[in-house]
Amino acid sequence: MNWRWLHKLGSPKWFFFCFKSWALPLFCIGCFALMVGLIWGLAFAPVDYQQGNSFRIIYIHVPVAMLAQSCYLALGLSGFVFLVWQIKIAPIFIKAMAPIGAVMALIALVSGAIWGKPTWGTWWVWDARLTSVLVLFFLYMGVITLQRALEDIALANKAAALISVVGLINLPIIKYSVVLWNTLHQGATFTLTKKPEMPSEMWLPLLISVIGLYCFVAGLVLWRMQSEILQREHRASWVQQEVMENGL
Amino acid sequence: MTYYSFLTAECLVLWRRKQDVFNALMFFVIVIALFPIGINSSPEFLAPAAAGIIWCAAVLAILMAVEGMFKEDYRDGSLEQLVVSGLSLPLLILLKVAAQWFVVVLPLLIIMPLLSEMLYLPRSGFWVLMMTLLLGTPSLFLIGVMGAALTVSLRQGAVLVMLLILPLYLPVIIFATLAVQAAQIGLPYAGLLAMLSALSLLFLVISPFIAAIAVKASVN
Repeated sequence: MNWRWLHKLGSPKWFFFCFKSWALPLFCIGCFALMVGLIWGLAFAPVDYQQGNSFRIIYIHVPVAMLAQSCYLALGLSGFVFLVWQIKIAPIFIKAMAPIGAVMALIALVSGAIWGKPTWGTWWVWDARLTSVLVLFFLYMGVITLQRALEDIALANKAAALISVVGLINLPIIKYSVVLWNTLHQGATFTLTKKPEMPSEMWLPLLISVIGLYCFVAGLVLWRMQSEILQREHRASWVQQEVMENGL
Repeated sequence: MTYYSFLTAECLVLWRRKQDVFNALMFFVIVIALFPIGINSSPEFLAPAAAGIIWCAAVLAILMAVEGMFKEDYRDGSLEQLVVSGLSLPLLILLKVAAQWFVVVLPLLIIMPLLSEMLYLPRSGFWVLMMTLLLGTPSLFLIGVMGAALTVSLRQGAVLVMLLILPLYLPVIIFATLAVQAAQIGLPYAGLLAMLSALSLLFLVISPFIAAIAVKASVN
């Protein structure tokens, strides 16, 4: 098999031109799917027999919480890729992804608190799932601040990659915290392997909003990566040509 | 330079800077004294909380010791010497961590009977607390050394080190305090101690290598 394309993608220039036209469509698809999912979920899905209308925040909480974990997984994997193969695009990806992941973790925490108030009667408990997501948020902040604080760019790249790989340890803790410790937080809403226990009118909008949020975040990350590439490579002739021709 | 001469030199430096070790210990005692004064000094509150208080204070003291671990070496250039010495850098870092651990944790363990008496820790919990400190503090040092290595070139790295490594400290703190509390109410605690040792072993395997990569990147 020909792996040339993969190697090409590792270079910022090729990456920039390959995905230049992807960001906007992905972003728009994401926005659209998110809107469909949210409106369907918030306005048309049937009322939960146990939690009443308060369950509807699931359509925000679950996608965001999934993204918060997926983003960190992507961060850790690209850190690993950078440490092993020194691919130039990986630290750019980390820099673009980390703030988005942090925002996702924060929204997951806040929406969880809002959901927790009517159902558990409290905004916050020191339950395993909640605490480990808070830790995830701190990990994101650590990656962001470390990469910003180091002025030497080679060092910053390596340090951010290292710390994001080390932080991967937290992911299985979050994932299995509901299974291992029997705490207040409910089990997973979604699994790939099992049939959902919710009626399809309830989980279909959830699925749509999850997919929508993935596309939305992918679009955002591509955008952020493009501007980061332009900033980093601002001395290269292809960047100057590109800016002259197409503007910023 | 050999591994042995490095270790003796390291110990000598630590011995010459006795004041630093003493400061960490004083800090530890002061933090512990703040809890009864600041919250509640009744035995009903302190006995169940003692393990948590001691562990939080220990974590803070260790953070203080670990954060500046490479600072002096970085400034006077001996960190560069370690990188080019031809010896295995992860092993040197491991030796450094071991020396630090010995110097900080041993005095802590020695004054522990006094402190646990002050905090009304029941006898049933005392030996488990000692066990958790013995098994858990190595992982605190090993995690801390990664943060210290990553931020060594920064002038103001202390807060950043905390932000980087405190999330990784949480499992250790949780397992340790759970073990002591379980022992106090007569539940089995061996599994929690096993988790603590597992964490220490895990970080024993990965953190010297990660710290070595970070040190190499920092001194280039």
